[in-house]
Amino acid sequence: MSPAGEANAGERGVEPLLRRALAPVEPPADLSTRVTHKLESISELAAEELEGWELAAMRDPRNWVRPAAAVLGGTAAGAGLVLLRLHQRHRDRDRGTVRSAVERVSSSARKLFASR
Amino acid sequence: MVAASKSKAEVDAEFSELYRTHLRDVYSYAYYRVGNHHDAEDLTEQTFLQAYRHFERAQRESAGRPLRPWLIRIAHNLAANHYRYRSRRPQTSLDESAPIAALHSTEELVAGRDELARVLDGVKQLPDDRREALIMRFALGMDNREIARALGRSDGATKVLIHRAIKQLEGVVAVAEGRG
Repeated sequence: MSPAGEANAGERGVEPLLRRALAPVEPPADLSTRVTHKLESISELAAEELEGWELAAMRDPRNWVRPAAAVLGGTAAGAGLVLLRLHQRHRDRDRGTVRSAVERVSSSARKLFASR
Repeated sequence: MVAASKSKAEVDAEFSELYRTHLRDVYSYAYYRVGNHHDAEDLTEQTFLQAYRHFERAQRESAGRPLRPWLIRIAHNLAANHYRYRSRRPQTSLDESAPIAALHSTEELVAGRDELARVLDGVKQLPDDRREALIMRFALGMDNREIARALGRSDGATKVLIHRAIKQLEGVVAVAEGRG
C-alpha cells in the first residue's frame, strides 16, 4: 500500500473532512517559472565561480596576505638565522679573547715562579 | 572503492527532478502554514533556493531515502523564522475559497462549505506542532515516518502527536457546531 493509502486507511470522524479542507494547493504558474530562472542563474553563477576561482583569488588583494605572510615569515626566519650565527661568532670571539688573556696571565705567573 | 563524484550537470538534473516532483507539496505546506498566497510563494522560493545549496550533502546523508521530509523541514524552519521575524501568527486568514473551490463541484461546495470552514478554523486554533502534523498528513499525504523526519521526532511521538491533534480538532469542531 502506498504511503497515501496507508494514511487514508481507517479514516473516520473528522479525518475525511480534513482531507477535503486541506486539499493540495496548486502553485501559480509564474512561481514555477520564477524559481526555475533563479535556480538556473544560481547554477550558472556557481559554475563560473568555480572556474574563475583561482584567478579571482589571486586578483583579490585580500588573498595576498597569506602568501605575503609566508614570504615575510621565511625572510624573518632567514634573518633570525643570520643574527644567531653572528651572535655565536661574537660569543666565540669573546670566548677566544678571555681564553688568551687567561693563558697570558698563567704564562706570566709560570715565568715569575720559575725565576724565583 | 570511493564512488566518483557526480558532475554538476548530473546534480542539477537530479535537483530539477526533485523540484518538479515536490513543488506542489512545498507550496501546499507553505500556503497552509502562512495563510496567504503571497507569503507562500516567497516561502516556496526560499525553500528551493536553500535546498539547492545543500542538495549534494542531503543526497549523501539521506542514503537513498526520499528527500521530501528534508524539503518540508527546510520550509518549516523558514516559516518559523518568518514568524519570529514578524513576531506574530498569521494575521491573514486562510483563503479558504481558493483550495476548496479548486477541487470541488458547486453542489459539494454549497453543501459542505460550512463544515469545511469549521474544520479549517479548528486547524488554525491548534498548537503549531499539531497543526503542522495535520497539514503534512492531510494536505501532503505524508506517512508517520516522513512526518517524523520532517519534524525531527521519533515515529512513536509523531503517531501520538497526530492522534492528539485529531482528538483536539474534533473537540474544537464539536464546540463550533454547538455539540460540545
